[in-house]
Amino acid sequence: MQNNAALEYDYTIAKMFVFSTILFGIVGMVIGTLIAAQLAFPELNYLLGEYGTFSRLRPLHTNGVIFGFTLSGIWATWYYVGQRVLKVSMAESPFLMAIGKLHFWLYMLVMVLAVVTLLMGITASKEYAQLEWPLDLLVVVVWVLWGLSIFGLIGIRREKTLYISMWYYIATFLGIAMLYLFNNMAIPTQLVTGYGSWLHSVSMYAGTNDALVQWWYGHNAVAFGFTVPIIAMIYYFLPKESGQAVYSYKLSLLSFWGLMFVYLWAGGHHLIYSTVPDWMQSMGSVFSVVLILPSWGSAINMLLTMKGEWNQLTENPLIKFMVLASTFYMLSTLEGPIQSIKSVNAIAHFTDWIPGHVHDGVLGWVVFMIMAAIFHMAPRLFNKELYSKSLVEKQFWLQTTGIVLYFSSMWIAGITQGMMWRAVDEYGNLAYSFIDTVTVLHPYYTIRAVGGLLYLIGFFMFAYNIYKTFASGKEVDGSTLQNKTPMSA
Amino acid sequence: MFHWLEERPFFFAVGVFVVIAFAGLIEILPNFAQASRPIEGLKPYSVLEIAGKEVYKKDNCIACHSQLIRPFKSETDRYGMYSLSGEYAYDRPFLWGSKRTGPDLHRVGNYRTTDWHENHMWEPTSVVPNSIMPAYKHMFSNIADIETAYAEALTVKNVFNVPYDQDINGDGNVDVALGSWEDARAQALKEAEAIAADMKNQDVKDAVARGEIPEIVAIIAYMNRLK
Amino acid sequence: MNDIYEYQGYAYFFFTVFLTLILYGYIIHLYRSEKKGIRDYEKYGKMALDDEITDKPIEEKSEQKKSVDDTDEKPKEQ
Ligand code: HEC
Repeated sequence: MQNNAALEYDYTIAKMFVFSTILFGIVGMVIGTLIAAQLAFPELNYLLGEYGTFSRLRPLHTNGVIFGFTLSGIWATWYYVGQRVLKVSMAESPFLMAIGKLHFWLYMLVMVLAVVTLLMGITASKEYAQLEWPLDLLVVVVWVLWGLSIFGLIGIRREKTLYISMWYYIATFLGIAMLYLFNNMAIPTQLVTGYGSWLHSVSMYAGTNDALVQWWYGHNAVAFGFTVPIIAMIYYFLPKESGQAVYSYKLSLLSFWGLMFVYLWAGGHHLIYSTVPDWMQSMGSVFSVVLILPSWGSAINMLLTMKGEWNQLTENPLIKFMVLASTFYMLSTLEGPIQSIKSVNAIAHFTDWIPGHVHDGVLGWVVFMIMAAIFHMAPRLFNKELYSKSLVEKQFWLQTTGIVLYFSSMWIAGITQGMMWRAVDEYGNLAYSFIDTVTVLHPYYTIRAVGGLLYLIGFFMFAYNIYKTFASGKEVDGSTLQNKTPMSA
Repeated sequence: MFHWLEERPFFFAVGVFVVIAFAGLIEILPNFAQASRPIEGLKPYSVLEIAGKEVYKKDNCIACHSQLIRPFKSETDRYGMYSLSGEYAYDRPFLWGSKRTGPDLHRVGNYRTTDWHENHMWEPTSVVPNSIMPAYKHMFSNIADIETAYAEALTVKNVFNVPYDQDINGDGNVDVALGSWEDARAQALKEAEAIAADMKNQDVKDAVARGEIPEIVAIIAYMNRLK
Repeated sequence: MNDIYEYQGYAYFFFTVFLTLILYGYIIHLYRSEKKGIRDYEKYGKMALDDEITDKPIEEKSEQKKSVDDTDEKPKEQ
């Protein structure tokens, strides 16, 4: 703090990714709300002709929120937190700066191509790995660029020890790299035979093997995309915003390594009652249950960080977002293992309980944490006070209501449907035809769509708040800000 | 001893990688050889059926339909014999699905027919009132990509030794012929004609007569094959 | 063919035991070395709080690369 006003953190890239986070958040959630409404009101399938059916749009929603919104959020925070915990500025390395810009623009290109190809129905049809092979190759390049950025920045760091968040960012990078590469192995048919469309490919794996690889990927992509990097964020932003150092650094070490090992075992639980060997299924279940322990280690660590500081919960809406996020994290990491218990899975699998589970995790934990992070970063990125505190408060309650409507309706819908599929009459014949089990869900599908709409409105409030902060917030000097994020009433 | 890792990013990364890669190795690799063995007499998909599977992928029916019958009485009563690993040996990619907004389709060919599908795909509610399945009218005018389907069949034949142009059941005849692109196209058209004959949509019939195969014909061929 | 399942079982079992031992060894090690005063782990938690580029690192990476405070000139950008 003496003679060097000269060197400052450089947030150019972080700002770009904040922009894409909001953009893809809006796109992904608008489509999500639309397809939720389509299940309640099928007429909505015909708004865009061939391109507007539930089935065409669903991959657009999932890819938009996973690879658009969440990845952007991860990178926005990486280009912010990375510099700060390593105590080195991007401005010190023109090379890393160039890599960062390339990273962003290539990523945007991939996303545009992804939207176009998915709308056209060009898909490899594996869940969360729909993109065809040329796009997969581009994704790999984007990923390598991020790797260069991580390890490049680490290479020129001042702080010798890597902070907790760094471990999680590194694990995200490695985990996704491995999963994505193996799952997307495919052979382009045009290159092999000279016939047909050059975009088409055929999977390297067939049938049951393909399923094994896919759910190994599917489950763990959730681990390394929705859990690990979000933990990276909360380990930085919660202590920073509250001014409390993390409750126990030792506990964070343990939960990290525990999570790394155990998480990957749990992939088998997606295959319960299919054709994979029995023991593997049992192991999958057991380990999913064991999973609760290390994953709660992180959440408990976060809650204990707030020990003696709970007044902040009422005073600071950002703390509210983050504490609720850790709570939802605990809820969904408890719910997941419960669903993987064999007898529960027999009912829950294939039903709406599964999307219900996914959404209490993503809406409550992932999106809340990313929004809190952006709220915290905005004044520091733009040197402006956050535009409106009361808007943040309103948004919080609106979205929380949305989540509750979403998961409660899907729990009921899932269990109802699971029970009806197996119900028999007094003679042992199936009691319901399939369509009976569909029409009964109409009210729940409607409630879910309303919940989604509330959440979406909340997201627009968030976007508006950030936009106003940038456009007309009160000036502050971002580099002198204390822990608590400044906001106008 | 352990703090060492957090100061050395390279070894830290190696450590993380070893730990996460290990589970994958143990979970997946050992089962590969066995799980890929087809059941006795399993026939590969014809070119028209592959084209239909591509339509199934393109319009992403997997978003609402599974193809995996679990070994419970309630499921076998509803859908038929439970699914066996070897039945999927030629499925690339697998299409088990993860959500049953609509019923399982793994054996739909046993109980639904060409004309039923024709009506249902055109307007589901005309067959099943209150259905929430979208209508897929565009399949009646879009033309299926038979050449790409041929490319796929040829690829799996050459790369994975899928038994095209072979006698599988030992009756002395080739079971699923592939041959050259001209042969395959002629064969696909022949199968398409048989399906179009059971349909009533005149545009579809005309297209097939012209030598073009609408998507609806291909997807019906595929669903009839699911048994 | 069946052999491989056996190996799988063993490999799985022993590796699990091994990792469990490591994890628990780790716990013991962490608490011991803090009790003995060899290392204070909790100070690293401060990394998130004192994260201005002008703050002094908890531990310098190397002698050559001093914290910003000690260097006299740095490129200015923006
Ligand atoms: C929005 C979800 C949804 C999508 C997408 C969807 N379906 Fe359906 N499907 C249903 C529902 C619900 C039913 C049960 C009611 C009915 O028969 O219409 C059904 C029934 C069916 C049936 C009848 C099965 C039986 O046993 O009676 C077939 C065949 C079928 N769908 C094929 C398809 C194909 C092919 C596609 C893709 C082009 C598709 N579906 C896309 C929801 C969907």
